[in-house]
Parts: sequence; structure tokens; C-alpha cells
Amino acid sequence: MAHEFNMKLTPQEEWSWLLAVDLFLGGMGGGLFLLFLIFNLSPSIAVLSLGLVALGAVVLMVELGRPLRAWRALCKPFSSWISRGVIFVTLFIVFGALYSAPAFDSLSWLAPGSDTARRTIGVVAGISALFVTLYPGFVLAASPSIPFWNSPLLPVLFSFHSLMVASGLIFLIAPLGLESADLRSISFLGGILIVVNFVLGAMYLATSKGSGLASKEAVRRLNEGSLGWTFKVGVILVGMIVPLAVVLWTPSAMALAGLFILIGGLLFRYCVLKAGVYVPFPLT
Amino acid sequence: MATSEKAVASKNGKAPRWGMAVDLKRCVGCQSCTLACKAENGTPPGIFWMRVLEKEEGSYPQARKVFLPIRCNHCSEPPCVPVCPTGASYKRKRDNLVLINQDKCIGCRACVVACPYQVRFIAEDSKGYYGEELTPYEAESYKKWQPRTVQKCTFCVDRLETGREPACVQTCPTRALVFGNLNDLESEICKLVRQRAHFQPRAELGTDPSLYYLT
Repeated sequence: MAHEFNMKLTPQEEWSWLLAVDLFLGGMGGGLFLLFLIFNLSPSIAVLSLGLVALGAVVLMVELGRPLRAWRALCKPFSSWISRGVIFVTLFIVFGALYSAPAFDSLSWLAPGSDTARRTIGVVAGISALFVTLYPGFVLAASPSIPFWNSPLLPVLFSFHSLMVASGLIFLIAPLGLESADLRSISFLGGILIVVNFVLGAMYLATSKGSGLASKEAVRRLNEGSLGWTFKVGVILVGMIVPLAVVLWTPSAMALAGLFILIGGLLFRYCVLKAGVYVPFPLT
Repeated sequence: MATSEKAVASKNGKAPRWGMAVDLKRCVGCQSCTLACKAENGTPPGIFWMRVLEKEEGSYPQARKVFLPIRCNHCSEPPCVPVCPTGASYKRKRDNLVLINQDKCIGCRACVVACPYQVRFIAEDSKGYYGEELTPYEAESYKKWQPRTVQKCTFCVDRLETGREPACVQTCPTRALVFGNLNDLESEICKLVRQRAHFQPRAELGTDPSLYYLT
């Protein structure tokens, strides 16, 4: 009957793979739409980004205890980041679809009457996509119980990581028919994003290490044991260092670099979730 | 002690703020409160709205056990409430209790993660202590909660509304648990908090828990 004091700092076990997959798909979809806007990519990329975000939402529904009540998550946008996230995802899917649909012949009747209207729809879709990449970081950062997440840097890290993963997806699918795209610029941006994420991640870990017992324990978990291997090999080596080397020295193997970035991106989210350690009980 | 709202409201104009003081010098770790909570609320296997943590301190011959009863602290600034996307977790204005409307809960677990005290739970199914088939007691008590939604200590809100103390307080054989209105300066709990050395668990997080450990 008796429970021990939480002397051992305990990690959260509520959120795991399913949420990591949701964050991965949603972030990648939002980032992909932003790259679609920035590089004026094929409309099929926009459709893919919408599909990824929608798939992420489906995965999230599976994670819920009561999925049929999911609509209720729209109710508290003034306080809850999950609620805001659901609104951003909905706005993104609606305005992203409106923006990209007219590019397909069968849906050309959906084209807005003026350029201004089209531009406005694009801006709303773009801003929504940006927030789709940002909000998971805010959801996690809102938990004072887990100091490792409770940092304003986390949303920034999630957003840049989403852009990096999106560029990885473009590397992966480029051979399937993105000849018209400015792949050289995208690969340059991809390389920059890898470096930026590496620096942001290092800053995040360095600041976390000095933010109390629970944060220090989270950093330790990312450096030791099975989670440590997943993080060091999966996220850093496979997800960042190898793709950066490919981008710099063997551009012909970009698709492989893209695949590695995707693997690293998924594992990154999993590692961040699993490294969440609760503040210890008093008297420890 | 009168806990019905009318009785409390007549003392001062403020809405009551129910809280608890735990005298750590009196707690002997008997787990009576844990059992009383189980009996009162009929929580499913593995879920304890109220429990007593214990830890061994020192080494022979000065080894001793220390105990820490924990439950939902019904914080004044509950971190579980703003993260809830549906409003299922809420702070009731009329008595400052932090409660859950299970009809609204979608089971997203945000509040479970946000609670620094790890006192929110989700029952994945409605199995009883003896498997799928519930005992008559379980069949009755399981009507109070829904599987795959969040549940937690309510300070026995049903009892409060009929003027009774929470089951754990009534049961404690050493009177280590003192329940009362923190907004009533003349209440026993306020007097104890004024007179005794105390701490609020993880107060540095800004949650202002309605729970005081007397040391």
C-alpha cells in the first residue's frame, strides 16, 4: 500500500509515441506549407502539407480518451494552448485548402475573385501554418510541473525543427517530380536549418542543465541509458550530422539525407516528451 | 466543524476556500485516510486520490520513517485549469474547489501532466478489483466517474455539501488532518497555520496550494 516518496525524479508517462507522431506530422505539415509559400513550390506540396496536418489531427484523436468529444477542445482559446492549436489546425486546413485548390483544374471554380482575396487567404493560411509549428512547444511549455519543458525557447525550437523536417521531406520526394523547384536553394536552407537547430538544441540543453533538479535529470536522461542512445544517435547523428554532411559533400544522395532528417525529427519529439521529468515532491 | 456553505457564508462575506493542514508530526503512516478515500469514492484499482508517501531517513540506529499524505491541493492558481482545452477542469467560484466536469473531459491528459503534485488520474477502463465483473459496491460507486477521463480528489464535495468533513479527515486516528476554511481567520486550520511552522508544497511554482504541511 505504501508508496515511496518520489525521491527518484519521475518522468511523465502520459504522453509518448502517439503524441510524438502527432507533433511530428503536424509540425512537418505546417513547415512544408511555409516552404511551399516561400519557394513557390508545386500545389501538390500544399496538398501534401494539408494531408500531413490532417493525419496528425487523426493521430491526436486516437490518443484522446474520449475522441467523440474532441470538438470541445475549441472551447478555451483564451487560456489553453491545446485549444488554440486546434483552432490553428482548423484554420490552416480550411484556408490552406482554399489557397491551393484553385491550382487544380477540377477545383478552379474555387478561385477567389481578386488577387487581394487570394493573397489574404494565403496570408491566413501561412500564419496558421506557422502557429501549427509553434503551438506544440507552447503546450509543453505551459506545464510548470515539468521544468525541462517550461521554457520560452521550446516553441522556437519546435518551429525551427518543423521547418527542418519539412525541408527533409522535400529532399526525400524531390526525385519523384519536383524538377521545377529551386532545389539548390531548398538544400541550402535545409543545411542552415540543421545548423540552427543544432545551436538552438545545444542552447536549450545548456540552459536546462542549470534550471534545477528536474531539468538537470532530464538532460541526464538525454545523455545516458536507452533514451540517451536514441537522442545522441537518432536525433543528433542520424537526424542532423549525417544529413548535414550529405548536404555539404554528396548532394546526389539528398533523398537519403531527407529520410534521415525525418527519422531524426520523429525521434526528437519522442525524446523531448520522454525527457519530461516532474518537479520532485517536497522533503526530497 | 460546519462545512455547509450557508454555515460558512454566515461567518464572513467571502466565499469559503476549503483547505487542509497536515500535521507531519502526528501522521504515523497508517494509511487509514487512503482506505477511507477508497471506501468513500470507490476509485478503481491502482488509483488513489489520496495516499501517504513514505520514506526512510537516516541509518541505524537513527533510522526512521517519515510520511507525507498527498492529494489534490485545490490550488488557488491551479495549473491544471488553464491548460484544459474544454473547461472540464475548473475552479468553482462558490467555494474555490478545483473540480472536473467529466462530461466535458476529452482525456487529453494535459492537466495530468500540468499538475506538479501528480494527483490527477485517468482510469483506462471500468474493471473492478476482481476483473470485469464488478462487485455491487463497485457497480454503485463507479457511477461517480467515467473511464478514460480525468479524476481526482474532490475534498469529498458531496460530504461537504451536507455539512460533513472529507472522509480522510474524519477517519484519521491521530488527527493529523485538519480541514477548514482558509478564508475564515477564526477557523482551526487558520489558527494552526498561524501558530505552527509550515510549508506549502512547491509554493515556488506559484500555485498557492490550499494545503499546508505543519512541521
